[in-house]
Parts: sequence; C-alpha cells; structure tokens
Amino acid sequence: MESLIIFFVLLSLGYVFGKMSENRHYRSIHAREQALVALPTTSSKKPIGNSAPIHHAELVYGHVVISVDYFKQILAGLRNLFGGTVQSYETLLDRARREAILRMKERCPTADQILNLRIETSSISKGDAGDQIGSIEVLAYGTAISFESSSQNHLE
Amino acid sequence: MKYQPSLPEHNDNVSHLHPVREFFTLMAGVLAFVLIGYWVLGLVVDVAVDYLSPEQEAQLHHTLDIDWDMGEEVKPDEQAKLQKLVDSLKPCLALPYPITVSLVKSDIVNAMAIPGGKMVVFSGLLDTVSSTNGLIFVLAHELGHFKNRDHLRLMGRGIVLTILAMLTLGGDSGFSDILASTINIRTAKYSQTRESQADQTALQALQCHFGHVGGATELFESLQSREKGVDLRLTHYFDSHPELQQRIDDLNRLSHELGYALQDTQELIEP
Amino acid sequence: MFISNIEDIPGKTITTCYGIVSGSTVRAKHVGRDIFAGIKNIFGGELKAYTELLGESRDEALSRMKSQAQQLGANAIVNVRFSTSSVAAGAAEIYVYGTAVTVE
Repeated sequence: MESLIIFFVLLSLGYVFGKMSENRHYRSIHAREQALVALPTTSSKKPIGNSAPIHHAELVYGHVVISVDYFKQILAGLRNLFGGTVQSYETLLDRARREAILRMKERCPTADQILNLRIETSSISKGDAGDQIGSIEVLAYGTAISFESSSQNHLE
Repeated sequence: MKYQPSLPEHNDNVSHLHPVREFFTLMAGVLAFVLIGYWVLGLVVDVAVDYLSPEQEAQLHHTLDIDWDMGEEVKPDEQAKLQKLVDSLKPCLALPYPITVSLVKSDIVNAMAIPGGKMVVFSGLLDTVSSTNGLIFVLAHELGHFKNRDHLRLMGRGIVLTILAMLTLGGDSGFSDILASTINIRTAKYSQTRESQADQTALQALQCHFGHVGGATELFESLQSREKGVDLRLTHYFDSHPELQQRIDDLNRLSHELGYALQDTQELIEP
Repeated sequence: MFISNIEDIPGKTITTCYGIVSGSTVRAKHVGRDIFAGIKNIFGGELKAYTELLGESRDEALSRMKSQAQQLGANAIVNVRFSTSSVAAGAAEIYVYGTAVTVE
C-alpha cells in the first residue's frame, strides 16, 4: 500500500515540475528564436544568395542534455504495451533540438550564415536499470561563415 | 536567392492530447487486460484441475512431495491418535493417496494441509478445541482442501499470474504496485471461496461421521471470544480466509439448508 | 511540395530560402510485436512488423516537416537528412530535417 502512495506522489511531482519546467523552457526558446531569426541556417553546402568570397569559416556547435521526468517515463512504459506515438517524449525532443540549434547560433553572433547543419541525437541511460533511458542529448553543428566585405553582410 | 526570416505559427512536432488523460486511459486499459486475462486463465486452471483423474492427481502429489521442517514434534502416541482420527474419516472423505499427520508443538491454533499428502497439526489447536467433534471438523476441513485439489488450483493461478506479470511489466516497477494490489484482491477473494468450499466439505464429512453436526463452529467461536475489542482493520479484502463470523453464519445456514441436526458433542480425551 | 536531398531541385531555381524545417515522431512498438521479435531472434530474417512500424513513422515525420514548410510559405525542401535514435525502452524516434525554399 505504501509503495502505491509513493508511486503516485512521485508521479505527481514529475508531472507538476516537469510541466512547469517545460513551459518555462518553451517561453525562453520562443524569445530567443525571435531574436536569432535573422541568422540564416541551412543544411545546404552552398551559401544562400551571393558568391562573395568568404573570409572566415569555422565549425560551430551547440548541445544540450535534457532529462526525462518520472511521469514521462511511466507514460512511455505504458505506451510500450499498446504501441502508438509516445507523446510524452515528443515535447522533450522538440525542446532539446531547438535549444541545441539556438545554442549553436549563439556561439557565433557575428557570422553571416551557418551552412551544412547536422543534428545528432543520443540517449544517455542510467547504468543500473538496463533499458531505462535517463536523458536525451542533442548536438547541432554546422559551419559558420562570414563574407569578405561588410557591404555584402546584408542579403537582399 | 534571398533569405526570408520567418518562424512557424504552430508546432506540428508535438501532439496535443492532455498527458494526464492519456495516462488514465492507458492505465485503465492495462488493468482491464490483466483482470480479464487473470479471470479467463483462472477458469482454465479450474477446469483443468477438475478434469484430472484421481490417479493423475496421486502422481502429481507424489512429485510435489516436499519435506517441510515445521518444528519440534511431540509425543508420538498423541500423533498416532490424530492419525487414527484422520484415517477414520476415510469412509466419509475418500482420497486417492494416504495422508500422514504430524503433530508440532506450538502455540499456533491451526492445522495445515501441505502438497504431497502431509497434514500438520499444531498443538495449540488441541488446547483450544474441547470436543472430538470440533477437532474432527478442523481435520475434515484440511482433508477438504486435498479433496477439492485447492493446492493445484492456487499453484496454477500462481503460474498464470507470473506469466501475466512478465508479459505486461517488462522491467518497469512503477505501476506494478497498482497491478499487484488489484491482483492480490482477486487472489484473496478466490482463496476465501476455496476456504468456504472446504468448510462445506468438512460439514458434510462431520454429518457423515457422527450423524450430526454439533461442534462444527466450536473452533471459530472459541477464536472469536479471544479477539478482544472491535476489529478496526479495513483490509479484510486481502485476507485469505473469510471472517470468523461469516464462517460461523455460513455453517449455520448450510446446516439448516441440508437439514443437519445439532446434538451433544463428545469430549476430547487426552491421554 | 518538392523534396530532395541534394543542394537544389533539378530543373528549377531557388528564389527564397526560409531556413531549417524539421519533423519528428516517437513511436513505440507493442507487446505483441515484442514477443514476435523475440521469437524471430532465434531464426533470423527481416522483422516485417518493425519495418512497417518505422516506415509509418518516417511518413509521419516527413508530413510534419512538409506542413511546417508550408506554414513558412515554402514549396520545396532541399538537403533533407534523416536521423533515427532510440530514446526510450522500446521506442524509436525518427527525425527528418532540411532547408525550406521556394522554387520556380
């Protein structure tokens, strides 16, 4: 009986605090995306627009590790029995990716474009519990380029 | 080519079903599946056990013969007396294999039927019953468990439960407690049914052996008077035996229905 | 909606670029498929149930990416890349991303 009560307490804690943290994170993501939308990011290898000479190119990356809360884990475990989309993990991954891309952009605020964006996702599991996943790590990397002359900085 | 900075209005990469609702839906689904599965497989076990022939049953019991060390044994002549009493019930409660009785010195007021054809009687029981009829009722109750093959039924259900648990749980321990509690209630209810059945078998054996059912409820009444105060427990649902008052009431009702008479009981003679 | 995983759509020119768009789904298998896969582990061979499951997930992820591109006003996506990862016990995440553009 006690373990049942503990289970529900943990579940509620996971849900409440997880939801709060998620909402806070999403607000922060929205604000930063608005601020950084001017920096073009593509998965193409060629720069958008002009073929002006590039005077500086460097590899930039952003990464984040976000943990799963108890409520999400239980929900995913239940889903495993019936199949279907694991909705509790979708928000987690969405946040992690957007955060990683934002961190990458924040690394090079003076760059003109970021090319060849690639994203790597991996799961980091707790050692003892076998197949239980503890957290998600997302790495976003690309090449940030700056054009030669300052008059070419703004794309028309 | 130009760049047009823009951001999507709504996020397509997430679903909008409320997670708490999803949780309850899934949980209800799992509980329903497990309960129905347990009920169906329990029925299968019952039918299978009923179909066993006495020879097959005797063979099963032989393989299940476990050596249980229950404690210090007492005077062999008291044990021999008990064995004689149990053997004397053979005409009324026939079993395809012999029952061996062990008497163990203990304060416990109980007797146990063990798979393999062994019965253990605790000396506390002998101190509490005052008539041969009362003692015979308890012995007949345990023999009733053997006759109804209750051990096989409970073991079969145990196997079924283990399989169901393996299928649905697969490593997660969180909601296994909810499942375990639900299943325990079902198992306890089933066990209580089997105990009532054994009581009924014992009552009929008592009538057959003595010609009347005086002394059937003796042990329960004696135990009841020992329980001082009000029983405040809320967990009768988890008990493997029905409540004492319920057992007494059921026995009285059954005697009335079957037209059994109550007469004076024989005193228990101690050597 | 044109989709390609090279730099452009052959035969068309890119006029506007909108940035990165992506689509993702997380799908879990269910117990039945799990048991079947366990048995298949002994005999080897293709796990058709899983192939089908992940195929459906990819289609779902692609359609999410397309709808995000449409929201931005694009009509093509170039340089598309896929990524699959295992994020929970028994669940796989399919992620697809590319650059949303308008072609003529």
